[in-house]
Amino acid sequence: MSRTPSQPREDPPQGRPLLSVRELSVRFLMPGGRPVAAVTDVSFDLRPGECLALVGESGCGKSVLASALLGLLPGNARTRGAALIDTGEGPLDLLTADEATLARTVRGRRAGLIPQSPAAHLTPVRTVRSHLAETVRALRGTPRRELRAAAEAAAARAAFPADHLDRHPHQLSGGLAQRAATALALVADAPLLIADEPTTGLDRDLVDRTVGELRRHADEGHGLLVITHDLAAAERVADRVAVMYAGRVVELAAADAFFGHPGPRHPYAAGLLDALPERSFTPIPGLPPELDALPDGCAFAPRCDRATERCASLPALADGVACHHAREAADA
Amino acid sequence: MLELDRVTAGYDRGVPVVADLSLAVGEGEAVGLLGPSGCGKSTLARVAALLHRPWAGTVRLAGEPVTGFRFRAPRAERTRVGVVFQQPRLAADPRLTLGDLIAEPARATGRGAELADRAARLADDIGLTPALLGRRPHEVSDGQLQRACLARALLLRPGLLICDEMTAMLDASTTAALAAVVEEYRREHGAALLAVGHDRVLLRRWCDRVLDFPTGR
Amino acid sequence: MNQPAAPPTAVEAGPWHAPRRVRRSTRAARVAFSAALVALAALAVLLVPPLFPLDQQAVDLTAKLEPPSGAHPFGTDEVGRDVLLRSVYGLRVSLVVGLVAALAASGIGLLVGCAAGAVGGRFDRLVMRLVDTFTAVPHLLMGIFIVAMFRPGVWPVIASVGLTHWVSTARIVRAEVLSLRSRPFVDAAISGGASRLRVAVRHLVPAVLPQAGLAAVLMVPHAIWHESALSYLGLGIPAHEASLGTMINGARGSLVTGEWWPTLFPGLLIVVPTLAIAGLAGAWRERINPRRRSELVL
Repeated sequence: MSRTPSQPREDPPQGRPLLSVRELSVRFLMPGGRPVAAVTDVSFDLRPGECLALVGESGCGKSVLASALLGLLPGNARTRGAALIDTGEGPLDLLTADEATLARTVRGRRAGLIPQSPAAHLTPVRTVRSHLAETVRALRGTPRRELRAAAEAAAARAAFPADHLDRHPHQLSGGLAQRAATALALVADAPLLIADEPTTGLDRDLVDRTVGELRRHADEGHGLLVITHDLAAAERVADRVAVMYAGRVVELAAADAFFGHPGPRHPYAAGLLDALPERSFTPIPGLPPELDALPDGCAFAPRCDRATERCASLPALADGVACHHAREAADA
Repeated sequence: MLELDRVTAGYDRGVPVVADLSLAVGEGEAVGLLGPSGCGKSTLARVAALLHRPWAGTVRLAGEPVTGFRFRAPRAERTRVGVVFQQPRLAADPRLTLGDLIAEPARATGRGAELADRAARLADDIGLTPALLGRRPHEVSDGQLQRACLARALLLRPGLLICDEMTAMLDASTTAALAAVVEEYRREHGAALLAVGHDRVLLRRWCDRVLDFPTGR
Repeated sequence: MNQPAAPPTAVEAGPWHAPRRVRRSTRAARVAFSAALVALAALAVLLVPPLFPLDQQAVDLTAKLEPPSGAHPFGTDEVGRDVLLRSVYGLRVSLVVGLVAALAASGIGLLVGCAAGAVGGRFDRLVMRLVDTFTAVPHLLMGIFIVAMFRPGVWPVIASVGLTHWVSTARIVRAEVLSLRSRPFVDAAISGGASRLRVAVRHLVPAVLPQAGLAAVLMVPHAIWHESALSYLGLGIPAHEASLGTMINGARGSLVTGEWWPTLFPGLLIVVPTLAIAGLAGAWRERINPRRRSELVL
């Protein structure tokens, strides 16, 4: 399959990372139980013009990671490490910044969220225009008389048709609701966009369009973090893929190498791709481990056909893959 | 196994969401029904599962016209059709443990003791550990919960399984695993399948034939 | 691949951070304070009566209308009885009446609401018309009508409050049941062969119990106020028995002449515990609010 929206870049995107996640871990303190290790030692960078897809099974920690980046973790969560966002005036740690700073300088301004269910993200009693106008006013301080034009410009950036601006959310199709939500995320031209399961529950045509639009935003210079379990969507949008398993990143690879040749190197990633109906449609045997009882060694070993006694020790993420028996890039 | 004859269905005296649709699923056959989201295919799935009374048309189950829907359908007819929905979070009573959730149809039909072994074996086959069976829906992932919902639907050995976007919220590996469980069940019991979904590749892979929704062809 | 070669700002695996929270501090304190007040009231009504029997005849005309002092912290009333002791006894009556009446009202409301929501159709419409009728009549008036049919006493008051206060619970429960009835988990139960009764008992009632329980707790203060109001009007608890309503009624005359304590202290004992109970109910409501329900979503 080729990535229609744009060809893979020859040269990696340059410039300062928009987002640097360093050894980020999230634990949940459960009442009376052992701590739940939802995310462990995740590190990655995201640069302007680049799209990173974070993929994995449900419960692998990718949504918790997204919540941590958005400052939406519940009270029983504890974080470690750093998630530094480039604020234009030096880095700010998203994990330790206080709520007021996040609201004033980060949300909407430096990082925009493209939500999972856009229709639920919009207030049902207000038109798309009033949503946009309010956001434009709040984030850019545009004077009242220029709001109309500014809202229309914001809609145009997300390819939201101007003649639908006076509709209410329930009058929009799924695709248009998605574009409206995207337009809101783009209002202040936030360099970083985070899309949380943008294609869940959408049908194929809509997935294609959503993915195409996301890709366009990356091509226009936004840094895009897509969190998804939809590998087909990830294949079409991403420059790089991070595969999460049991809270850890087990493979971080260029998307064209991962989905095409030479293919994934971590056995879990290979299994995940093989489960696609386009491929052999065979599941990975077993279930992911419980996050409150992770083994000391490789968490995937019990389900892995390459497992040996070496897997009793935890493989580090080296050269983009965390496996003692990673397939070499050459012998694929 | 299942015949829908010129079925029209909708809600609250509005525009029908399913209009004049006919469809047949043969004994042991797997039929995929493909359509975009919000096109009414979930309503059709509920009609086929005897959960929603159509405005017009006939539903036949194993050749016999269905006489009632929801509580008006005789228990024997209702339990002949198993159904799995798109969102496991909404399809699971939040107060029941996964084990109770799976055993619920057996208890509701007064066969709790008789089917306890089958419930345990089914849970094991579907990949749910005893520890998971003691948890409640908010303590497990979507994938684990959907496994339990599928086990619940298969407990009474339905001759027809209806999967309404069963895997839309799930990752590739869980999707393939649930499809394999359905496959295995159908081979063992010769059951029919009506899979409703939006993913043509998946339905082609899963079903004997795939129909496009509004036309039923 | 553009792996970050050397992280520009590598951090050591440091201590664990809790997510910052804007406000939560006062809520815990508020709940603790309310709980302490309710516990104090409960202890007082449980422990004081066995230790200090209330002698109804302990009229001491030499000590009538004494202001609060060491011997009588709440002062004495117009016939020289200790206001503190009588207030505690009055609070006991009020709490018992409030609890029993609220439970009775909520029980009726739960039953009616569940039946209307679960059965639906014509039965639902009939029941809701009845509810509308009840709502249209001022419930204090109807309560007075009910107590007037009996001799003054505790049970007529409970009946009067219970029979007039089930409508709001019935409405809440019915709405909840109606919204639950179309959920896929009810569909799944029906498909699994469950009967109408089983769906109602196993799936619908447990789902609305927290809401109904909350309505019951919120009704306790309301019921206490009703008891006091009826007693004040001379229709509830007999005048010679210690009840907060009868005490305030009896103190009317002395209030005019400037002796405020026989009115103020029983009044406070109506207001403070009821506010505390309402505070606890509020905390409970925040707990069962679905938005805060599941804190960990994997």
